[in-house]
Amino acid sequence: MRGHNPLESQVVESLADLHNQGHPLHDTLSQLWEAHNNLLNRIERIARVSDGYQSIVRDREMTLSARFDKQLRQLEKVARISDRYQVMMRDLNIALTEASTHDALTGIANRRLLTDRLREESERAKRYSRPLCLVMVDIDRFKAINDSHGHEIGDNVLVEVVRVLEAEIREHDLCGRWGGEEFLVMMPETTRDHAVLSMERLRQAVASLRVRVNDDSLSVTVSLGMAELRADENYSSAINRADVALLRAKRNGRDRYELAD
Amino acid sequence: MNDFSIAGSQSSPAIQSSWESGVLAMQGDSYPENSYELFHQVIEWIERYLAEANRPLRLELHLLYLNTSSIKAMMDIFDLLEAAHQEGKSVAVNWHYDRRNERVVELAEEFKEDCTFPFMIQSAD
Repeated sequence: MRGHNPLESQVVESLADLHNQGHPLHDTLSQLWEAHNNLLNRIERIARVSDGYQSIVRDREMTLSARFDKQLRQLEKVARISDRYQVMMRDLNIALTEASTHDALTGIANRRLLTDRLREESERAKRYSRPLCLVMVDIDRFKAINDSHGHEIGDNVLVEVVRVLEAEIREHDLCGRWGGEEFLVMMPETTRDHAVLSMERLRQAVASLRVRVNDDSLSVTVSLGMAELRADENYSSAINRADVALLRAKRNGRDRYELAD
Repeated sequence: MNDFSIAGSQSSPAIQSSWESGVLAMQGDSYPENSYELFHQVIEWIERYLAEANRPLRLELHLLYLNTSSIKAMMDIFDLLEAAHQEGKSVAVNWHYDRRNERVVELAEEFKEDCTFPFMIQSAD
């Protein structure tokens, strides 16, 4: 309850004054005073109830805002963790793609990738009537190397031969491991004459390679067979012809190349 | 009693509960089509256990990949454990990861961040 203001104090005093008891307006003023007090009480009660509602709403707003903040933090965290999982999956995908298209030992294209590229390049060569040469390369007497020096040295020979082949081919050629000790070099936009030059370069480079075996060193040679894609054949037919030429190179003494008919 | 066991598949983890020993275990990848259905019973079991069992609860997790809704479900589960921990109940999480996939550690660390109860991240062979 608040205190009386000067006017109210004056009213209270006048009503209490014995001299005013018989005054004709005393009764009226006393009723007015009571009505005034009732009104005051009511206003205070309304204010109290209203304040109460306000604080309820305010509390609820605070709870909602706290809950909202919490949800937001959780959402951010879910997104963050989810992003990291996705990065992990993406890296794994890249690793899987690499593993499925490349040879694990030598790191060059495997037969799957070679086949894909052969399909593309042979179609392109035919569509635009461009030359495409396929060269099969096989390490001579590889079984003997494995048998006398062990598989580890055999693996080293494969890795070293691949290193030489990769260094000698041109940028737009593709060298891949076709199987065991057999490699395929695909030479787009290359005529028979240019392919012959490349093959001779490859043969010489491998022949001058020395693979270290403990304190000793080992030399290896390769035989090569080449076929130029014909307009009326698919790539596998050209590969077969290159294989036949390779076989002839082997029969004719190895460390040499032969051309398909 | 009240236990359940879900066989794992390529896209959803295997889950086993043991009211007796107070252990809930999950193994595998979690990419379920409806993760709400899958995790609903897990969350229900944990809520009931925390309310009624009056014994310690331990989660043994061998999880690898989680899709987004599974991540959300795991966070809800850890929130439950955190609340129980705040009430003085004994709860713990052991997150096992494959040594060959060390990156799972970083993810487990993210989950652990807001948890004040014992949360171990350990390599499994």
